Amino acid sequence: MAIHDDGRPDPDALLASAERSNRGHLKIFLGAAPGVGKTWEMLDAAQAKRQRGLDVVAGLIETHGRAGTLQKLEGLELLPRRAVPYRGQALEEFDLDAALARHPRLLLVDELAHTNAPGLRHAKRWQDVQEVLKAGIDVWSTVNVQHLESLNDQVARITGVRVAETIPDTVLDMADEIELIDLPPAELRARLQEGHIYRPDVATRALKDFFREGNLGALREMALRRAAQRIDRDVTQYMRLRAIPGPWPVAERVLALVGADASAGNVVRHAARLAEALRAPLTAFHVERTSDDARVQAALDLAVQLGGNVVTQNATDLVHAVLDYAGQHNITHIVMGRQPAKRWRFGRRLAEALTRQSAAFSLHFVPLPAAPAPRPGRKPSKPDWEPYLLASALLGAVTVIGVVANKYVPQEAMGLIFTGIIAAMASRSGRNAGLFTAFFAFLLWNFCFLPPVYTFSVSDPRDVVALLVFLLVGLLTGQLAGRVRQEAGAAAARVEALRRISLFGQRLSRAATLSDVLAGAAEEAASMANAGIVLLSGPAGLRAEATQPSGTMLDEAAAAAAEWCFAHGVETGFGTSTLPSVPWRFLPLASNAGGIGVLGAKPAAISPPLAQALSALAGQTALAVERARLSLHTARAEAQQDSQKLRNALLASLSHDLRTPLTSIRGAAETLAQAGNALDASTRADLLASITQDTARMTKFLANIMDMARIESGGLTVRRERVRLEEVVEAAIARVSGALYTRVNIAPDATHAQADPALLEQVIVNLLDNAVKYAPPDSHIRISATRAGNSIGLGVADAGVGIAPGELQAVFDSFFRASRGDRVAPGTGLGLAIAKAFTEAMGGTISAQSPRTDLPADGMPGTIITLELPAA
Amino acid sequence: MISGRILVVDDEKQIHRFLAPALTAAGYEPLRAERGDEALRQVASAAPDLVLLDLGLPDMDGQEVLRKLREFSSVPVIILSARDQEAGKIAALDSGADDYVEKPFALGELLARIRTALRRKGQAQLAMHELTLGGLRLDTTAAKAELNGMPLGLTKREHALLLLLLRNHGRVLTHRQILTALWGPAHTEDVAYLRVYIGQLRRKLGEELSAKLKTEPGVGYRLEE
Repeated sequence: MAIHDDGRPDPDALLASAERSNRGHLKIFLGAAPGVGKTWEMLDAAQAKRQRGLDVVAGLIETHGRAGTLQKLEGLELLPRRAVPYRGQALEEFDLDAALARHPRLLLVDELAHTNAPGLRHAKRWQDVQEVLKAGIDVWSTVNVQHLESLNDQVARITGVRVAETIPDTVLDMADEIELIDLPPAELRARLQEGHIYRPDVATRALKDFFREGNLGALREMALRRAAQRIDRDVTQYMRLRAIPGPWPVAERVLALVGADASAGNVVRHAARLAEALRAPLTAFHVERTSDDARVQAALDLAVQLGGNVVTQNATDLVHAVLDYAGQHNITHIVMGRQPAKRWRFGRRLAEALTRQSAAFSLHFVPLPAAPAPRPGRKPSKPDWEPYLLASALLGAVTVIGVVANKYVPQEAMGLIFTGIIAAMASRSGRNAGLFTAFFAFLLWNFCFLPPVYTFSVSDPRDVVALLVFLLVGLLTGQLAGRVRQEAGAAAARVEALRRISLFGQRLSRAATLSDVLAGAAEEAASMANAGIVLLSGPAGLRAEATQPSGTMLDEAAAAAAEWCFAHGVETGFGTSTLPSVPWRFLPLASNAGGIGVLGAKPAAISPPLAQALSALAGQTALAVERARLSLHTARAEAQQDSQKLRNALLASLSHDLRTPLTSIRGAAETLAQAGNALDASTRADLLASITQDTARMTKFLANIMDMARIESGGLTVRRERVRLEEVVEAAIARVSGALYTRVNIAPDATHAQADPALLEQVIVNLLDNAVKYAPPDSHIRISATRAGNSIGLGVADAGVGIAPGELQAVFDSFFRASRGDRVAPGTGLGLAIAKAFTEAMGGTISAQSPRTDLPADGMPGTIITLELPAA
Repeated sequence: MISGRILVVDDEKQIHRFLAPALTAAGYEPLRAERGDEALRQVASAAPDLVLLDLGLPDMDGQEVLRKLREFSSVPVIILSARDQEAGKIAALDSGADDYVEKPFALGELLARIRTALRRKGQAQLAMHELTLGGLRLDTTAAKAELNGMPLGLTKREHALLLLLLRNHGRVLTHRQILTALWGPAHTEDVAYLRVYIGQLRRKLGEELSAKLKTEPGVGYRLEE
């Protein structure tokens, strides 16, 4: 900003304009891309000038064979081009000397960024133009924005094409006038397609490469931005109206300094406008003071609403704080309120300090509103009488003692005592109390102790000095103590807020469930304000999930504020600019995935530390809610995975248990069919028997599956009756083919049990199957029944390999099969699961033991599975 | 007349129960093993002409059996596998099995595979300068191929691919085996390449021959006789 504080013109600017006065006038037609019509526009304007009698000469025009451009050249005086031999061919270049000799009033030179052929006076055409200008000839020229040096990188990044011909940005700054030739990308593409710009074959290629809509949009915006930076407000407005969104490398950063004064809002608004125009991030910066009021909070909120972020610091030295922050964060623009001469010393100092640093920042001063609004929310505070009473009492007491002890206390000592009292009162109760004490101390001292005693006359000029000293002590001590108290208070508040937040964080991290989290958040909000509420969004809108005190309800207006807060993701209600009449303050709870709800608090007053604490609380709550939801989600996913595992086990088992008998049945049947005659009778019989056996195996498998399905669907009906164990065991043994060598040993007191005979038989069949499967062929199985109190223990013991201790628990799970390397034992792995389910349905228990601890007793080294059934 | 000894390795008694008479009836002498170590002993001592190997054995992984077996014997091995043992099957083919059948298999199919494997065993050692299949003649040294006297115009890669398939005709070649042979071990996952070349080869081979170039889904390719 070249405007000086006092409105004087910038001397540099004066110098520059003086330098220009003898120079030719440069006008640049700035375009976003080739083909937008710069040359045409320039010629069009030149023709108009010519018709008005101006001496116009076309120094060099690139028509690119475009008909419209050629047409516009008609009637214009054309300067012959200069042929420059280069590597065996003649290049045609702008003839600088001819132009200087001709010395027209206005010279047209196309393509400012052109690089001259080697051997000419200047390497670049813009240098030619500079010389022409120096000669006092006005020049019109054209350039595309991608040729600007400073934009070269950006252009290369966006379009993928690095432009070799560039002009320094100062050339553009040299221009007295810039005309922006703007053409929307779609129209430009259309022109390209119609062949107005390039030959059709080139055009098709160009449309796919450089002239992509996105490229053009970006370049156009760049041109607009560049023009906006350079030209007047109209263009700025034009640009803002058509602002095309797009990511830009951040070069500028705007800092708005917010203080407790009437300009705070204006500062933020101005800074936001500036940030928007620059496409720069906005930060509102505030240094806490006890004088902070609602206007500060409103301004900070406004900054957030306008897309900025807020930084609040607690610092004594405002200037230092601002400079530090600005330096650390590469701030390029600082916006602050213009301070009236008398008010806010800091403001003056800050402005001066920042001005001294102006190499690093651009400074923007925002004037105070014309009629400063009465300071809202700042009610005249009730005078607090307590310190004055105390001061009076102290002074009175000391005076009385002094008068009584007159002989022993010299008047000077009394003066020191009074000074002490003043300092004490000032540091305790502030400046005003200090001044009050100082004044009355002086009166008392004068009246009671200074000769002439008991008069108010001052006989000695030194006493005037004493009065001044008293007042000064009161003033300075009061001010100093006030400052110290202020800072200590602010620091304590911040420490307290931090402590609370960290405590809350710890508490949340311990909260196991979502409702714990919500209750904790509501409680915390209530402890900061008077009441707290957490609302989460669900299918039916926002719903109160936790309140503190419990049963707190939101009225209609508050509910509307909460809805608004959730819908727009901004703080609403008390102390904000949205629905401020609502006593609640609502803060959005947002996760990465979007809004999840709203946190509400009902404070009596909002101070910046409280607002910050609440906002931190909202942030923590949102995180915790998200985490709780995630863990719930994980639990569900795990359950799903378990059932998936079960399904996979079933599929694997189906595959194995159907495949083996099927292979065997098919093989036997095909062998019989293809080679039946070549086989002897016994082989044929064996193959037929094998088919029958495998069919039985599949039937059993099917029955198991059906049993399991019956259990899982809960369709199992159980009878309870007195069952003779021997009968059931015999029937079961008869059904299991490998159980020929089963020894049964039923104790005389364990002959009957309370059970369902059909289910019990199935259980024993399954246990025998299992024993046969894992025991060596032709080994013995032992079934024994014993009585223990009111229950019968029925054990099935085998001489098999036993079960690994780690697998003992799992054997009754569905689809479990003892693993032996890669091998899968035949069977569904359902047998023991069914046995367990049936046993439990009959009111019994089942357990496995392996290897057996009672080994020697029956010589069965493998596994024993024991049923416990009620005796009958 | 006994045309070969075949070792059946499977822990399911029922499989032996029908395979033994079936193989006998087809003129082979069946040998029996229920465990991996037993199978290895039998291969070493009885020198069977072919092994039928089940992948799920109680004591040893089928692939481990195959690996140990290949350390001392080049006997043809046909894998008996199941659909849910896809990975094991391919790994077994990669590590030197000659073929596979899926349970439950058709007896006719199994016997046909046995015949092919035994015949291949007879030819495998011959180094030939020219391979033929139907009207197809392939020069093994120069990149020349003719179909019914007309040059096929194969590229170098296609020629190499066809040569590999012809040398192993009747036998499954896994994707990995082909890719390793043609493109080197770095490209064993690039099955898409292979599909392209097979497609080109099929186009050039004409209807009759390309019908013989069978896709084994998820496993590889086989040039049938």
